[in-house]
Amino acid sequence: MTELVWQAAVSGVVLGLVYALVALGLSLIWGVMDVVNLAHAEYLMLAMYATYWLWALGRVDPALAVPVVVPVFFGLGWLTYQALVRRIVRAPLAAQIFATFGLLFVLRYGAFAAFGPNVYGVWRPGEGTVPVLGVPVAASKVTAGLVSLAAFGLLAAFLRYTKTGKALQAAAQNREVALALGIPVDRMYALSWGLGIATAALAGVFLIPFYQVSPTIGDAFLLLAFASVVLGGFGRVDGALVGGLCIGLLENLLGTLVSPTFKFLFVFAAFVAMLLVRPQGLLGDVGR
Amino acid sequence: MNRPRTLAALVLGGLVLLPAAVQDSFFLNAMVHVFLFGAAAQAWNLVGGYAGQISFGHAAFFGIGAYTTAWLLSRHGLSPWFGIWVGAAVAAAVSLAVGYPTFRLRRHFFALATLALAEIARISFLNWEAVGAAIGLYLPLEYRNRLAYLMWDSKPPYYWTALGVLALATGVVWGVDRHRAGRYLRAVEQDEDAAEMLGIPTRRWKLFAMGLSAALTAVAGAVYALYVLYIDPYNVMASRISLLVVVVALIGGRGTVWGPVLGAPFVVLLNEYTRAWLGGRGTGADFILFGLAVVLVSLYQPRGLIGLLASPSPRPLPAVVGAGRDPQDVPPAGAGGPPVLQVRGMEKAFGGVRAVRGVGLEVRRGEVLGLVGPNGAGKSTLFDCLTGFVRPDAGQAAVDGIHVVGLPPHRVAWAGLARTFQNVRVFPDLSVWDNLLCGTEHRGEGLWEATLREVPPALQEEAGRLLRSFNLWDHRHRPAGELSYGQQKLLSLAMAVLRRPRVVLLDEPAAGVNPVLVDEIGRLVRALNASGLTFVVIEHNMEFVMRICHRVAFMAEGRVVTVGRPDEVRRDPRVLELYYGR
Repeated sequence: MTELVWQAAVSGVVLGLVYALVALGLSLIWGVMDVVNLAHAEYLMLAMYATYWLWALGRVDPALAVPVVVPVFFGLGWLTYQALVRRIVRAPLAAQIFATFGLLFVLRYGAFAAFGPNVYGVWRPGEGTVPVLGVPVAASKVTAGLVSLAAFGLLAAFLRYTKTGKALQAAAQNREVALALGIPVDRMYALSWGLGIATAALAGVFLIPFYQVSPTIGDAFLLLAFASVVLGGFGRVDGALVGGLCIGLLENLLGTLVSPTFKFLFVFAAFVAMLLVRPQGLLGDVGR
Repeated sequence: MNRPRTLAALVLGGLVLLPAAVQDSFFLNAMVHVFLFGAAAQAWNLVGGYAGQISFGHAAFFGIGAYTTAWLLSRHGLSPWFGIWVGAAVAAAVSLAVGYPTFRLRRHFFALATLALAEIARISFLNWEAVGAAIGLYLPLEYRNRLAYLMWDSKPPYYWTALGVLALATGVVWGVDRHRAGRYLRAVEQDEDAAEMLGIPTRRWKLFAMGLSAALTAVAGAVYALYVLYIDPYNVMASRISLLVVVVALIGGRGTVWGPVLGAPFVVLLNEYTRAWLGGRGTGADFILFGLAVVLVSLYQPRGLIGLLASPSPRPLPAVVGAGRDPQDVPPAGAGGPPVLQVRGMEKAFGGVRAVRGVGLEVRRGEVLGLVGPNGAGKSTLFDCLTGFVRPDAGQAAVDGIHVVGLPPHRVAWAGLARTFQNVRVFPDLSVWDNLLCGTEHRGEGLWEATLREVPPALQEEAGRLLRSFNLWDHRHRPAGELSYGQQKLLSLAMAVLRRPRVVLLDEPAAGVNPVLVDEIGRLVRALNASGLTFVVIEHNMEFVMRICHRVAFMAEGRVVTVGRPDEVRRDPRVLELYYGR
């Protein structure tokens, strides 16, 4: 029993790192421009399709797909901002919510029309396992977890040490002051969309070797990412990491101990409990 | 006035008689869908349109209604006449459980919580053996063709039942829209803090709209189950139902009575016919279209089809008898009544900044007390502490003996404290008249009472008189957002004083206003004071303060330095040094 729990905990941490990577982009865009991108997980889904087709048609290994998929999705994010989000930055909240909600359905049913309802996955026979703290974990999952950690490290360094990163933070904190200081806020917003969508795509690339894709996987991932951001505390990069880890652990442990069918129910219950007790999240310190 | 009503009656009559003329089964089937999804969209409109709380999970309520009715009938033989209301009650209870924790937070949370709810509900029902899990529930056919079970083997009776459900939902929304409730929900949508400060219990109203909305959606779901005779999580809890409901309301025009009614045939018929043409569940092309429509509506025509068809027609107002009292120029008389507002030991720190440090203050009944001091002295923070927007670290405040610290803003308002904000806060899309009527007394006002009744005529007359004396009467039909900044300040003052609170806190009433209007505001404050109202006024315009205040309290660095007659305070050397740096 203890061994089972330990196994669940370890694979929960690995899974949590992947959730954190999905949540990272959501948190970044939310933090920088106060827009919750409801279509966030649809980009993850599309990136998984892109990686799958590169593998199925071109025999490109998912890891090698990164230099192609991630820049393309950076561009997609940038484009989404320029074509759609730019127009609603200062619109009423309802318009913002509806705009990305509509986008969610366009992308989801676009994928449905293009790829059909079938489930696809990359299957690589003979993949090894890596022992993590005494538990054998599939190599692809370990890779995904490490990639997630690296992405968090790089983004944190970017925000802290580069001039552009600091400008991005300034634009996030106060749009007017940033504008007055000559920071191109509009470009910072576009950059946050590019980066946010690119990290979602990165998660997609490393998810596909062990997670099958279909047009509707976005729902679960959006909710998990949102719960991660809320749980960890929003407006900060490490919040997504802590939140993602908690969600991954919670899902795996309770899924193992109680019932795998209702694991999302537990996650949701934790999320609601968090809203009641500590709406600013684990790491957050400011009121709302 | 009667024309829209006649038109509505004619259309309704035509719809009732339609099955006599058209027997095409595909068409009748499509119309049943139009009515039921129209009803669900109308229900969504209450919470997503009027109250502005956007739900993406109405499929859960639709499904709960369908499942409850179907389960009670198939497993226990209980009539849907009973089951429908049980389903409505269950759906309302679930909606409140989701709304209660999330309505405290920004609206994203509610939107995502409802999305999560729908997902959780679908997964739970898919795995719940008692309700058939993935196999679903069949409705027993032996009950058909009996009115007691609302099941038939031909389409027209369903057509009429569904039409009845749409009429019910529209009637409820019409009732809300016509009476106080609609005004309050719109106020909540536009500026929750301002609504709270007027004494509107915003969270209770949001929960009310949500519960009512979920219950009506469940009724539509129940009738849907009786119509299709077989339900499973895929046909009554799918996320496309949530989408369809949102799209109908959004395209028709959310926050209006007729928007969802107009949107339903447009969207649902399109959906039904494309599905028929493309065969089966289609390729999802219709949903790409709906998604695009939602994006486009949010970008270009937030008011939907209704916005394209009709410009807002102002409602006729009751004629008001008697001219407004002209406020006389009353010089400030020495007001030495008993204390009405007592503040003791108020403390508030933001991180390391101690904005308010041990403030004590006594406001006497019938006086105008000026609160002056340099920027950052803690004046507005003190107001925030008193009115429940900021929780003070320590201290007491009582209005006529009622403690207000720790109460939410609407309870503070109920205790008799009114307030205006430094940056004017009116409800921009509500008419001036509706804005003003949001300022009536809300203490003890029942939710159903406010839904079923308008403000009593006597109170409306009083409001009319107030509006005249504020020179805003001629603007009463205009949206408040169209007024000048100064006029908006006047309006917010009128809204604050309409219910004749015990103490009115004014935060910089003269700032950013032209000199003529500054005089006007000063005159109004004095006249209202002469009629018995007590004021505390934060203001930087010293001339204004000198003219209207009986006493002045000087604040600096979070403390009250001195309190006294205006001329005394102005000459106080500490004030000169702290304020003017001399």
